[in-house]
Amino acid sequence: MGTPDSYNFSLFSPRNLHGKKNRNVILSMLLIWAVAVFGFQLLLRIIEKPTPEKALTLFESTWPAMRSGDLTDAGYKTFLNALVLVKGKNSVKPEDQQVISNAISCVTYNNLPEHIHALVTAGIAEMESLKAKLVTAKDQEYLDVKTSIVEKKKTLIDICEPYSGFIPGSLESEIFIGSLNNNYPASFDDNTYARLPAIMKLYLTHNQSVLTDTIFLGFPFHYFYTAVFLLILFIMLCIVYNLLIEWRLEKEGVVES
Amino acid sequence: MKKIYISAILSFVGLLSLKAESLTQLEGSFKTGPAIILIAILLTFVLVGIFFRAKDPADYYAAGRKISKVGSGMAIASNWMSAASVLGMAGMMYGFGYNGLAYVVGWTGGYVLLLILMAAQIRKYGKYTAPDFIGDRYYSRDLRIVSAIFTILISFAYCVGQFGGIGLMFKWILGMDYTWAVIIGSSVVLLYTLISGMIGATKNMQIQYVIIVISFLIPTFIMAFKFDYFWLIPQIGYGEAVADIVRGIPAPNLADGAALLNAYGHDFAIVPSPEFAMPWDPSTGTTFFQWMAICFSLMVGTAGLPHVIQRFYVVPKVSDARWSVVWGLFFISLVYWTAPAYSTFGKLLSSNPEVGVLAKDAIVVYTAQLGGVNSLVVGLLAAGAVSAAFSTVSGLLVAGASAFSHDLYVRVINPDSTPKSQLKVARIGTIIMALAVTAVAIMKLGLIAQLVSVAFSMAACTIFPLFLLGIWWSGSNRTGAKAGLFAGILVTTISLTYFIVGLSGGSLPGQTFIAYWLNVWYFAWIGAPLAIIVNIVVSRFSAPTPVEIKKFLAEHVHN
Repeated sequence: MGTPDSYNFSLFSPRNLHGKKNRNVILSMLLIWAVAVFGFQLLLRIIEKPTPEKALTLFESTWPAMRSGDLTDAGYKTFLNALVLVKGKNSVKPEDQQVISNAISCVTYNNLPEHIHALVTAGIAEMESLKAKLVTAKDQEYLDVKTSIVEKKKTLIDICEPYSGFIPGSLESEIFIGSLNNNYPASFDDNTYARLPAIMKLYLTHNQSVLTDTIFLGFPFHYFYTAVFLLILFIMLCIVYNLLIEWRLEKEGVVES
Repeated sequence: MKKIYISAILSFVGLLSLKAESLTQLEGSFKTGPAIILIAILLTFVLVGIFFRAKDPADYYAAGRKISKVGSGMAIASNWMSAASVLGMAGMMYGFGYNGLAYVVGWTGGYVLLLILMAAQIRKYGKYTAPDFIGDRYYSRDLRIVSAIFTILISFAYCVGQFGGIGLMFKWILGMDYTWAVIIGSSVVLLYTLISGMIGATKNMQIQYVIIVISFLIPTFIMAFKFDYFWLIPQIGYGEAVADIVRGIPAPNLADGAALLNAYGHDFAIVPSPEFAMPWDPSTGTTFFQWMAICFSLMVGTAGLPHVIQRFYVVPKVSDARWSVVWGLFFISLVYWTAPAYSTFGKLLSSNPEVGVLAKDAIVVYTAQLGGVNSLVVGLLAAGAVSAAFSTVSGLLVAGASAFSHDLYVRVINPDSTPKSQLKVARIGTIIMALAVTAVAIMKLGLIAQLVSVAFSMAACTIFPLFLLGIWWSGSNRTGAKAGLFAGILVTTISLTYFIVGLSGGSLPGQTFIAYWLNVWYFAWIGAPLAIIVNIVVSRFSAPTPVEIKKFLAEHVHN
């Protein structure tokens, strides 16, 4: 048996030449691994810029006029469109959805002519009662209620089209009609709407950069890199490591027990 | 004989599948077709388990070291690909966008660490279980006991998410209450593990892997084709769908003049939703720090999970241990490349307000349903998800039972026990653990992937530092190991305590601070480095490692 110190080793101070070569391979692999994973995310973080969606710019350009009641017909449609584009995102929290739905209802009802207003209000009330029925309905009754809702929706979309600007059949028109409710604070001076600009900013601002805006094989580049390329790299690193180790073991005549 | 036996099983499965085809109903509470497929597959697992069952402790713990490197790679992949991989990961991406990818990268990148720093060395050291290694390397009975307890706790935490996943799929297929679904699913997986042990489990894992991959991949080919993306390699084809989500797709969306619709007749359309793909988007409530912390914790945890480390004892040669990692990682990646496709299609198919936000942990199955995929294929997908959970749970229960019987009972409580009584204790341990996990899984404490990530952080703070320093630094001694383990356990305890208090509606000093920086899903970002540093510092100022240990490491592990 050698002296106690002769068996001392660590990853950074191996005992022999074989160990040193091993260490170099391991550290190189770890460096590539760490830079590829964490270095890339750090780079993304460094170069990203909070980038607003077009809808936020449109919202912010119309919001002051909406508050003061000076919005033109075109401005009203722009404002409504911005709200609908956020409402349509299914990542919006329920409490924020409620504020947006109320805002959509408020701006819509305030701009509808009296007779259309009454028609839409009645239609929405009817649709809500149908939706309540849907919860308990079964089999054929369920299908019938569902059909009634779809038909009612179509009618309302058609009625509102000249005022909302949403073309029947478009996704926006579905979101729009789905957002209307009859229990909304009727004025934008109401406290409920104070959070609206912050909500719009939250959902319409994203961390973007050249790495997120570049398209590669159909993907945003950063998404491809993380979801696809990194996994390929991991497998390649493992294969290269095994081949290197086995090549060296063979070269040095080492037989593993 | 084996061939006849397996042919009989396959014919039976085939017959049941044909029967299922005529009985399938996608709507309604009880789904006959998927139920028949699930029962057939589970029956196959049990029969294979009986056929290849453990005959002695060596078989039960380590499959008698009879597994090839490709077979072991498949078993690693199957053992690894749990409900968290098949159901939870897509759910995280669906709910949290780019931050969900931290799970994809974390759960694959850890294999590089495992290969480079652990696999061959663990095989060379030649111990059956993680506590075996720790007790021997650190010449400490206490450390063996504590690491055995943590092996059980880690397996326990890991199993909770799996049992939750099994419950969700049983609920979806059988149309029953979640609680009963968990109880029935848990009973079946327990029965199977008890009669099979690891050798049966290893054989089954290879079959399970094939089922998981086939069932998981087929719907993505169908959906990519149906919605006009590059379907030959949907793992690449869905990229265009990601870009479409960012830009938005107007309705009606047409392909070859025909409108693209989901199963409910809604347009395949979406408003611009960059938050799905943009990094740490503010609207998802996630941050850059969380991405890094989750990814790091999962990677380091991967290299410290006892049931994963244990797989390297079952291969015959050291080089097999290395190559089994490569095969395992490749097989795992096939599923991990595909999981984001489900969240992407799920996002697109659920964009209509009529559909609304879907339950994250069931997004894989819902996506296939909404995509109009044949109900039998959806049923197979659900059965594949159950297989994934089964394969992992059986490995975890065996690891937990091994720690209980091999490391606590034989080494500490009753060293003179016979192999028969050891096996009996292992089985009793398995039953107790399964019952306890079932009770916790019923509580639904979080999303599957999140629940599983607790186990990873625990492993990263406790087992990983002991293995890393135990293998790579002769100076790491018993006192240092104890101090390091204490630091890791302390961080774990703080995080879990705050989590439990928060969950019960209470609040401790600094609740918000701890909930963010030492969150239960990723506390290893600080716990693992701290445990390593404490181990090093204390080792430097305490009695050195005995020369016999250093000699063994130098001559047998690093020669």
